[in-house]
Amino acid sequence: MRFLNTQLVNVLRRQCITQTPVLTQREGSWLMTRCLKTLLLPSSPPWRALSTAQRLRKEASQPSTDKLDLDLWKSVMKSGGDSAVVTQAEESAEASPLGAVRELVEMWRQAGKLVPENMTEEELQTLEELSTKSSRKKYLKYLALKEGHKKARKKKQEKKKQERAEDAKGSGEDEEEDGSRMKNTFLLQFWQRSIDALYNWRAAQAMQFGQSLVFDMSYDRYMTRREIENTVSQLLECEGWNRRALDPFHLHFCNLKVEAAYHKELIKRYSGAWDRLLVSATDRPHQEVFPREKLVYLTADSPHVLKTFDHDKVYIVGAMVDKSIQTGLSLANAKRLNLATARLPLDEYLLWDSGAKNLTLDQVIRILLTIKDTGSWEKALRFVPSRKHEGFYKPQQSEHKHWGKAEARRDNSRTQGAFVRHQAFNPKMQQTLLKDSRSGETAGKSKGKKNWWEEED
Amino acid sequence: MGTLLISCTLNNIYPLLVHSRSSCFAVHKNVSSFFKVWVPLKVQRFSTRVGNSHEGDNKRPNTKQKEQSGKVPHALPKSVFAAGTARKKAEFLKQKWGNDFDKELKGPRKPKENNIPSQPLTAAQWKTLKDDARASHHFEVSMMEKMLAANSDIDVAKSLLAYVAMETGTVSYELLLRYLTLCVHGNHESEVFDVYDIMKKRFKTLETGAYSLFIKGFSRTEKWRECLLLLESIKRVITPSPRNYGYAINGALLHGDSRTAWVLYEEMVEKGLTPNQETWQAFFDSDRSAHDSESKLSSLLLYMRNNQIYPGEALVKSIKAWFESVPGNKWNGSWTTPENSGHCRNCCSSLESIQLTEDEYNQLKEKVMNDVIQGKDVFKKTTPQELESFKSFVKKRPPFDVVIDGLNVANTTSKGNQSETLLEVVSHLAQQNLRLLVLGRKHMLRGSRSWDRKNMSVIQQKADCFFTDNISEDDPFLLYATLHSGNHCKFLSRDLMRDHKACLPDSSTRRLFFKWQRGHQLVLSSYTAGRRIRFETVPKYDTIIQTEENSWHIPYDEDGVERYSYEVPRKWLCLEMKR
Repeated sequence: MRFLNTQLVNVLRRQCITQTPVLTQREGSWLMTRCLKTLLLPSSPPWRALSTAQRLRKEASQPSTDKLDLDLWKSVMKSGGDSAVVTQAEESAEASPLGAVRELVEMWRQAGKLVPENMTEEELQTLEELSTKSSRKKYLKYLALKEGHKKARKKKQEKKKQERAEDAKGSGEDEEEDGSRMKNTFLLQFWQRSIDALYNWRAAQAMQFGQSLVFDMSYDRYMTRREIENTVSQLLECEGWNRRALDPFHLHFCNLKVEAAYHKELIKRYSGAWDRLLVSATDRPHQEVFPREKLVYLTADSPHVLKTFDHDKVYIVGAMVDKSIQTGLSLANAKRLNLATARLPLDEYLLWDSGAKNLTLDQVIRILLTIKDTGSWEKALRFVPSRKHEGFYKPQQSEHKHWGKAEARRDNSRTQGAFVRHQAFNPKMQQTLLKDSRSGETAGKSKGKKNWWEEED
Repeated sequence: MGTLLISCTLNNIYPLLVHSRSSCFAVHKNVSSFFKVWVPLKVQRFSTRVGNSHEGDNKRPNTKQKEQSGKVPHALPKSVFAAGTARKKAEFLKQKWGNDFDKELKGPRKPKENNIPSQPLTAAQWKTLKDDARASHHFEVSMMEKMLAANSDIDVAKSLLAYVAMETGTVSYELLLRYLTLCVHGNHESEVFDVYDIMKKRFKTLETGAYSLFIKGFSRTEKWRECLLLLESIKRVITPSPRNYGYAINGALLHGDSRTAWVLYEEMVEKGLTPNQETWQAFFDSDRSAHDSESKLSSLLLYMRNNQIYPGEALVKSIKAWFESVPGNKWNGSWTTPENSGHCRNCCSSLESIQLTEDEYNQLKEKVMNDVIQGKDVFKKTTPQELESFKSFVKKRPPFDVVIDGLNVANTTSKGNQSETLLEVVSHLAQQNLRLLVLGRKHMLRGSRSWDRKNMSVIQQKADCFFTDNISEDDPFLLYATLHSGNHCKFLSRDLMRDHKACLPDSSTRRLFFKWQRGHQLVLSSYTAGRRIRFETVPKYDTIIQTEENSWHIPYDEDGVERYSYEVPRKWLCLEMKR
């Protein structure tokens, strides 16, 4: 008789309690369960709670509070012997060496704390390595919020899907008659694929002839894991904005060590697309890739203001997210290499309200793309988050403020508009135009675009 | 009034005058004595406005009283490092800029609906209450929380549990936990035991919150030994908190098992946890009758000394009571404040000097050089070339007496020209024949509206000057120059150097730095262009728990004074052995 094996009996006992209805429905096993139940559970605890409840209900229906048994819940709790909770915890404890941590998480969840429902082994491992209670709680909260967002997104997607399906049902007949959504229009319709091809074509052009923009990827040791994740998210966004721009930059990821944190994360996020991506990634430092005098490091701590966007320079942006503010890190790097530095003219154009003057990478690239295209800081600096400032200085005011702040630089006292024109007819610029017709086309385009904008305004 | 004036000045003579010639002494004495009297009055007005009415109101009558009785009025020295200064300043600024921000925060909040029943309800009554409630899915837990906040009767909670158990056949862990909190806070021992039995039966493990509550609940009862088991359970997943240990120790002490208590205490300290003040207090209180662990208790005091922890008022009272209850009536304790000269007002013995020993000084110098100035990346604060040129600059010149943070001093007041302010302070110090070093940035030399070239050249005549690059920090250079000039050299800055202190690797070096800083930092306390320049008193004694053969001096935190971590207490307990 295998039934005498205690372990098996235990398992069966559990099954009986939790899954009795399921078991009884199964044909064949029905009789066996019945027998087992009578054999193993003479006092049949699952029903007991129910019966007390019934008794209580009767009592409660009597109005007098004097007879109210305040400790009844204790007997209920005591009688309800081993519950499903215990079995669950037991199983998980046996399953993995991280059982104790998993149990803790489970109990914290029951205590109403913000913890995720499902955790991977990797996450549990990270959790166990955290030494303090508060850091563990923080990490769990982060995971829980992430899980929540994921769930909400999925729900929304499903809802949309459903709606779409209903829509299709509702207007299904007409559409089929019309022939799937083809409308009579004089505009040429594009497939997403052909738009992608166009973007890629532009990116490829930029890689051959366009202006370079460097992301300095040497900050991984200053960042936590999560900060690196955020950085890579921002880099993805940067690449996206750049790809869709009229005249994209040639992006360089310099100092990108293979198998380092950045690299791993980039590959993880791009999955297969990483190898097809139209950017230059190299483990060589930027000062080796480009001539030193062409490099300008953009950093919020720089004493120099970037007044004119120079189409000949190679600007460097530090690919870093610092949640705890680390001042002067990128400036230190620039100082070490003796590179020119510059900061965006935020104070010169914006009535700064509050907040640090560092910007996210995607904001920076949108600012740079716009200034490159239009030459207008007013347009470019619209990408500075509006919560950080109260608006732009008025046109006349901005000139005074701008040049008043940067002391004693009389040579730059021409107006903003003049500067733009000057830049457009920059002799150097013309040289490049002559040298290469392709880049000339793009430059011409951007100029045309600028004029169009100005007319609009 | 005349006596008052003189005694005041003699009492608070600004320390640098010691170096000075007698001629300028006379000049400054008059100036400073004139304002000495006015300063406390100003402080008083300011503090009443701020709302610290007790202190402000008391000050004036007090001085009068002392004047009449002919005693020396010892106004506490005004110092940026004295407990409560930062708090006062914050409140002053808040007052100055208006309280809008505060009001916004506190704004008209909806009064919380308080629908906690005053007596136990039946299940049916609970049901109607739940149906009426807005968020019914969270009803039980939030109701229990409200009861906890209102500290309501435990029977009401019980009736709620009975209702829940009846309705669903079980009570959730979360709800049980809230109920347990209610029991522990209300001191219902038997309930705690019952909940313990139930939870142990229902759940294989508990979480840290429940364990902590049980430890607290059990520590006061006969079953206090259970605490030790619970502590073990916590240890399996996480390091128990000092509070957990504290309650377990409390339990052991309450039931006379001081051996276990000490074992637990040592275990806690070994784990790098800082014990709570209540725990120390429990040790002192419990030993008052037996007096069998004197050496261990003095080791507690030494632990506080070594970690620069100051006891709170409750703890210091227990300490005093313990010392006074030592058999033979040997100790005499009294509350006091030290004089600026570093003598205890009560027993007249001199306190430990704030000056560092030779070894400590060298150690600090090296650490500051390595960790503050160079750090992980020299380029972050300066460049190697600049650092080298500064080093040789300092080496070539004889040691300085005062190193001045030029930009900090220049910005002391918002009124007046920056270079004039700096010039005035520099010439004031130069008059006393002190060797000065002024640190600044290169942009100060370029000549502009606020940095007059003439003023700058006069400054350069009166003092040595070093100007760092505009993008370099000047504070690290200030620290280097001061430390390099030797123990007598002081620096002048309002900056509390907290960011530089934070660069130091370990807490003992940070404490050393703080000690050095308190003894070597000059702070302009009042400055009016063209009229008065005064500095805060630099204490001669170190504010730390200290002992000699037959005395203890213990600085402590008064109740009601919020002391920030970069401040030290002003009140002391003096314990002396009777002869």
